[in-house]
Amino acid sequence: MRVNKFTAMTAAVLFSISLAGCGSDADDSTAGSAAPTMTTAAPTMAASPSAAMDMVNFGPGCAAVPTDPANKGSFESMAQVPVAAAASGNPLLSTLVSAVDQAGLVDSLNTADGVTVFAPTNDAFAKIPAADLKKVLADKKTLSSILTYHVVPGKLTPSDLAGPHKTLQGGEVTVSGSGEQFKVDGTAAVVCGNVQTANANVYIIDTVLMPKS
Amino acid sequence: MRRIMAGAASGILAAGFGVAAAEILAAATRPQAGPLVAVGGAVIDATPTAVKEVAVRELGTYDKPALLGGIVVVLLLFTALTGILGLRRRIVVVAGATLFGAAGAAAALSRPDADVVDTVPSLFGAAITGAILWWLLHRCTPKPTQNNAPTRKSSADSGAVAEAPEPDFNRRSFLRSAALVAGGTATAGASAQWVKRARAGAAARTREALLLPAAASPAVPLPAGTGPGFVTADKDFYRVDTALAIPRINLETWRLRIHGMVDNELELSFDDLLDRPLIERDITLNCVSNEVGGPYIGTARWLGVPLAPLLRQAGLRAGADQLIARSAEGMTIGTPIDVLLDGRDAMLVVGMNGEPLPLVNGFPVRMLTPGLYGYAGACKWLTELRVTTFADVDAYWVERGWATHGTVKTASRIDRPKPFARLTAGTQTIAGVAWAQGRGIAGVEISIDGGDWNAAELLPVPSLDTWAQWRYTWNAQPGPHSIAVRAADRTGAVQAGERATPFPDGATGWHTITVTIA
Repeated sequence: MRVNKFTAMTAAVLFSISLAGCGSDADDSTAGSAAPTMTTAAPTMAASPSAAMDMVNFGPGCAAVPTDPANKGSFESMAQVPVAAAASGNPLLSTLVSAVDQAGLVDSLNTADGVTVFAPTNDAFAKIPAADLKKVLADKKTLSSILTYHVVPGKLTPSDLAGPHKTLQGGEVTVSGSGEQFKVDGTAAVVCGNVQTANANVYIIDTVLMPKS
Repeated sequence: MRRIMAGAASGILAAGFGVAAAEILAAATRPQAGPLVAVGGAVIDATPTAVKEVAVRELGTYDKPALLGGIVVVLLLFTALTGILGLRRRIVVVAGATLFGAAGAAAALSRPDADVVDTVPSLFGAAITGAILWWLLHRCTPKPTQNNAPTRKSSADSGAVAEAPEPDFNRRSFLRSAALVAGGTATAGASAQWVKRARAGAAARTREALLLPAAASPAVPLPAGTGPGFVTADKDFYRVDTALAIPRINLETWRLRIHGMVDNELELSFDDLLDRPLIERDITLNCVSNEVGGPYIGTARWLGVPLAPLLRQAGLRAGADQLIARSAEGMTIGTPIDVLLDGRDAMLVVGMNGEPLPLVNGFPVRMLTPGLYGYAGACKWLTELRVTTFADVDAYWVERGWATHGTVKTASRIDRPKPFARLTAGTQTIAGVAWAQGRGIAGVEISIDGGDWNAAELLPVPSLDTWAQWRYTWNAQPGPHSIAVRAADRTGAVQAGERATPFPDGATGWHTITVTIA
């Protein structure tokens, strides 16, 4: 469950970016509508204390996530949809969402069998000089390479997180730290960890990662 | 030779008595824990789908009796062998009975909602089996002579000596004991049946014990050339609902009420439903909340009662345009009445893939409307059908902003390769499904890296209400590639390419995945 929320959050971030043009959340009367949800977990699993523990998110950035479960950006909503759809509900991740859309990776992320996504926030993208960001967004191949460098096969729980992980881009990311303090590639801090989505675990980070080429 | 026959008979008789004893205990406590039903259920679950499909195809609804017959044959062979080997070594009796009990107990535990106490009937039955077998084998073991058993005076003094001694064992004594056991088995078996019937209620007719009648109008056989995975196994069938606990419905007290804007209110029991002519159809069902390329879709062979004749029997009043189905846990699903009466195979489903409807899929009865998303036509755990109007009543999801008419949109999905797959250069097969229930799929096209659309090969389908499988042979060149799919239905309309979210009436967009060729 924890993994799902994290993934959902990342996805939410990514999606927010791509869907930012669709109208503000405040104006969207449908934003609060819960979708018919999929109950894959057995009811007994949901009730077990250990499963509940797994759902715990951590990090200062989690405070920015909407708390109303009916909100599309909430942890509860994100846990029920695949990662890219989940990200689109989260205003913190709107730049990432548009980048994923631009790269044509929405379906691939949504229909991947179980992944971990390091999701840079809008502030993380804002650290990149505007001209450079524009150039990257226009270059689908480079953009795709950067984005897939943020995705690791399999759902990593916080206890699996530290260490080197081969990314979908092919290069390796290295996570250091433990408990609730993690850094990715020594530069990007996890600001909200263990966000669950239907098919991915999301760790929201404050800096965009760059593949070592 | 005669002793071997006696050993085999001992094993079979003892097992019969043990099973009957276990059944009587289960009947009086938890009928679903009876070893026959538990083992039957476990065997069904463990049977590979392909085998099950063949069995269902070849045997139709006789697959259950065939299965039970098969279990009995295996049981006879096992117990006969135990009896024969037990003649020589009594440890075999203990081992056989233990294995016997363990199998029954394991089967009972594997059932949905199993409890530890469910193992008791099987273990009890196994203990009885072991004891009886031991006793019977003792009866057909040669009496020791005075020479080699001087201390066993009683045997020397018994009638065994007085009677004409059998060359190998006391036949009359054995037959007497065997008859006693057989009589006991018959009595216990009859008692178990009687107790089950006496308990009439609740668990006496569990899902596992339920035998559904054959369809008056069977499904057409799947055409040759249908690919693997055309029918979705029950365990892989998606589940989207709001039920926190799966409703448990007592078949004996279950009633379906058809009321509202009707001339004759109807109340039907489960048997009333089964008394009507049933149809069986292959139909694809999908969820409106499925994202492009998502997993919430499946195809099953559904057995059910056609809904339109029931509605006509109830007598629809003028102006009625919506049927509100209500589930045992309070879900409401609204379906347009004109859709239900337009000749499509809308039905009240009682069976899925040759079995009673699984609990998670709505046991005992769910609605199914081909061509509509589940939220608009496929209420599970059905208890009530209310004839009304769209103006008067909003169903559960409509209250939450979803569309009133949930017609399935034409769509397609790439199942192979997987997103982000790393493949080798050369010939690769791209494969997947496309669906437009009610309209049927006319064609599927593939575009690599945004290039021209090329036709994929369509595999045969049994009807317009199922998905169509497709495949495309791709000469893959090294590098990163995107693969997109789109379908056209038989009205000529091409699947919408614009991206829409599932809310409020179903996602649109061409499923596009990224792969890397090494």
